[in-house]
Amino acid sequence: MTSIDLDNVSKVYDPNGEAIEAVSDLDISIQDGEFLVFVGPSGCGKTTTLRAIAGLESITDGSIVFGGEDVTDARPRERGVAMVFQDYALYPHMTVRENIGFGLRLSSGLSEQEIERRVEETTEMLGIEDLLDDQPGELSGGQQQRVALGRAIVRDPSVFLLDEPLSNLDAKLRTDMRKEILRLQQELEVTAIYVTHDQTEAMAMGDRVAIMNHGRLQQIGPPEAVYLDPANKFVAGFLGSPSMNFLEASVESTDGTTTLEADGEFRHELPAGSVASSATEYDRVVVGIRPEDLEIVETGGVPVEVTVVEAMGDENVVYVDLGSTELTARIDSTVRLSRGDRIRIDFDSDDLYLFDPDTEAALETKTAQLTAYREPRQADATNP
Amino acid sequence: MATASDSKSLPVRFALYITLLVIIAITFIPLYWMVVAATLPQEEFFTLPPRLLPGTHFLENLQALEARFPYLRSVWNSVFVATVYTVISLFLCALAGFAFAKYEFKYREPLFYFILATLVLPVQIMIIPMYLLMAQFGLLDTHIALILPFLANPVGIFLMRQSMLSIPDSLLDAARIDGASEFQIFYRIALPAMKPMLAALAVILFISQWNAFLYPLVILESEELFTIPLAIERLTGHQRIYFDQIMVAATIAIIPMIVLFLWLQEHFVRGFTNSM
Amino acid sequence: MSLRDNRNVKSVKTSIRTTRNTVRDALPTVPGVPYLYILPFYVLFGLFLAFPVVYTLYLSFFEYQGPGSGTLLEIDLVVFEAGVPRISSLEFVGLHNYRRLFGDALFLQSVENTIIITLIQMPLMVIVSLAVALMLHAKFVRYSGYFRTAIALPVTANYVAYSAIFLVMFAENFGFINYMLASAGLPTIPWRTDGFWAKVSLALALDWRWMGYNMLILFAGLQGIDRRLYEAAEIDGASRWEKFRYVTLPQLRPILLFVIILSTIGALQLFAEPMIITDGGPANQTITVVMYMYEEAFSRFNLGYASAITYALVVFVTILAYVQLKLGGE
Repeated sequence: MTSIDLDNVSKVYDPNGEAIEAVSDLDISIQDGEFLVFVGPSGCGKTTTLRAIAGLESITDGSIVFGGEDVTDARPRERGVAMVFQDYALYPHMTVRENIGFGLRLSSGLSEQEIERRVEETTEMLGIEDLLDDQPGELSGGQQQRVALGRAIVRDPSVFLLDEPLSNLDAKLRTDMRKEILRLQQELEVTAIYVTHDQTEAMAMGDRVAIMNHGRLQQIGPPEAVYLDPANKFVAGFLGSPSMNFLEASVESTDGTTTLEADGEFRHELPAGSVASSATEYDRVVVGIRPEDLEIVETGGVPVEVTVVEAMGDENVVYVDLGSTELTARIDSTVRLSRGDRIRIDFDSDDLYLFDPDTEAALETKTAQLTAYREPRQADATNP
Repeated sequence: MATASDSKSLPVRFALYITLLVIIAITFIPLYWMVVAATLPQEEFFTLPPRLLPGTHFLENLQALEARFPYLRSVWNSVFVATVYTVISLFLCALAGFAFAKYEFKYREPLFYFILATLVLPVQIMIIPMYLLMAQFGLLDTHIALILPFLANPVGIFLMRQSMLSIPDSLLDAARIDGASEFQIFYRIALPAMKPMLAALAVILFISQWNAFLYPLVILESEELFTIPLAIERLTGHQRIYFDQIMVAATIAIIPMIVLFLWLQEHFVRGFTNSM
Repeated sequence: MSLRDNRNVKSVKTSIRTTRNTVRDALPTVPGVPYLYILPFYVLFGLFLAFPVVYTLYLSFFEYQGPGSGTLLEIDLVVFEAGVPRISSLEFVGLHNYRRLFGDALFLQSVENTIIITLIQMPLMVIVSLAVALMLHAKFVRYSGYFRTAIALPVTANYVAYSAIFLVMFAENFGFINYMLASAGLPTIPWRTDGFWAKVSLALALDWRWMGYNMLILFAGLQGIDRRLYEAAEIDGASRWEKFRYVTLPQLRPILLFVIILSTIGALQLFAEPMIITDGGPANQTITVVMYMYEEAFSRFNLGYASAITYALVVFVTILAYVQLKLGGE
């Protein structure tokens, strides 16, 4: 069990004389026994960060500290980390038994019987004791995944690193393995760092979620905090499915009332209060509204035209045109809609998110609703 | 497989099989005749019409051959030189190929393309300087001189790099996490994962050394160091040519390789089709 | 966070977006290790391949006088003294060796011999190996694998050893081939005493040795052709011949070219076969370029001139090989 501190970690690649910053100035403290998820689009630096923590990648600047001990220049085997890879990375020429025992044989100095005992204990824990003498090529994806987990936990690591471990599994198996990984992490009381591009997975698994983009940490916090109180437009758009709707609006302030006007016939009067106060300083803002916060109304609201309806069962994802902007709404499936329907949609002022159009930093979020959820482990929300 | 071509008419099929059998006969006749000639007593060899069935005089003919020339010694030399060469070259090519495929380092591309450029050079270009160099090193008329210059084999490094590219990086990372040293990663992970390609390359390397003729001809002088090609050349170069003994020598050179080919066929074929 | 910093982020954004693949493909850098791995290879490579390439060229501008004495290069560092010995003593003759090539009847003869042998050997081999590959590839041929193995057997034959078999088979008086011709009522052929037939005997031996090899390569090429192309052609109503003409041949073209170029390169380097089967005779009618180089170098010790011959060969082979690499690159 170990806490991990990343202090101003930067990684610059310099393949052909042109420097590329893959990770810049990353500053994160991961607590002992925490399950932290790095999430972001591909190329955002999350995997590089994980590999740097593993010791597979040197860092250009900053330091990495494990439980008070600086391991910046230590090799992977000196860090006591275990890692699960996206493609499982099982040694193809070894049996399951040899795969799991390989690390212990190389560096633990344990007796052969002790290694055997641990390997068997681990496979029993994962329910793969019948596969001990099979080769990886003979196993299904889910079984390979379990062997990969076994290889990681058999060494009793202090830090458990997982690089998109579920992305090669089908949807059903993925949900099962999610639970399995969480169960193992809690049983072993190990610090876990998990990388994924899938925001649903990130929200479902992490004690905290760190959202990265273009090599920079955008925000870190508990799932509900980053969802309800995104630090910027990127985080707001990345989390949630379907993504948040954005439209650029001009701000009109007259006689204490503040009105947002945008494309099509969008007009929304902000009630007096926090929302208004933050918007009045701007001429233009980016308005964000989540698909689930849109509703169909008889009167009022904004007139729109339905373009596509995707049935999801309990609800429909409805795409509508508001002028030249496309909006997405999640509407109860009892409301039957089809292409070309003209409807009116509306939303609550409390559900609005506002962003600075230049810096994209959040001006207004659902912070108010969040206070009720917040745990003592306060998210150190970072604005880029 | 029920396609139009299945309904080929019987005469066409028949003609086709006959053609194939004729080709196979042409392939086999020289080999068969070699065995016949090697097993007949010398005096029966020149009878007309020639004998068409193998005799029983193989060992006698071999003894006669050995009395004139230490041929079995040459066979051993060939096996020894080709084996030592194959093992060392395989290791060097795999090691360097692994570095090129799986590490990032400065000048990686230019260094590799430098080797690739020499792929097109004919082996004859080495003969004269190598003769002078070996003379300088005092290595003329030694087996080391046969092995040393060809260890750095451009085809070998090329094939090894190409196939090692297919090893996932994560496999090597997993081994690093498991605590393997860089050399253990090469030796215990990369090499075993490359077994089929190693076997194919081994076949290429072994055969190239096994067939080498011009260069050993330049380097070797002592009969007791001769490899098979030099020995047979010596046998055919005499004033009086003993056909039966030459055929004994050829049989001993060719039949074991045929057996090896039948045994390791897939590696041979992969070697041939990959070295193209 | 100020606006300026944000712009900074954006510039990083774009640079990352355009080069992201490079980042993801980047491999671990372990200082020293890769150099250590390629070092033994490069030492041997430099000494035994790179050096000879340069030194043969160098030699071709000289007349060889005998083994070297003295040193070529001396390093004297007071405590450390080393000398690179001169490996031969030479007299500079400029381009003389190359000029000599063009007036050397025997060299020109060797080039001509090589070309004629190739012209006899190549068409037969390509046609037969392609035909056999096609036959074995036909779906209705059973035991294709066994046929393939049987026909490929000669690839295992040691050059000198198989040449020795053909030496005996082509013997004029007691040879197996002339005997078969005679018993079929045909005239016997002067394999050893007629220049043309001597070349034919070499070509036939080469065909025997290499037909199976080329068949294997062409067969692999045929297997590589996408089945769907044939199905599409069948749907278009193509006949058997049309399928061969418009699907098989164009798809196989690079491999056919490869076979032809590789065989040409091999023919340019002919040595063991003419050495054993015909010994260059009769009257130098089957002497090849490499044989001539060997004799100049090691019988007459004209190492400078022999180097020029080698470079003439290198130029031809390199051109052909580059053509092949270019075609293979497609």
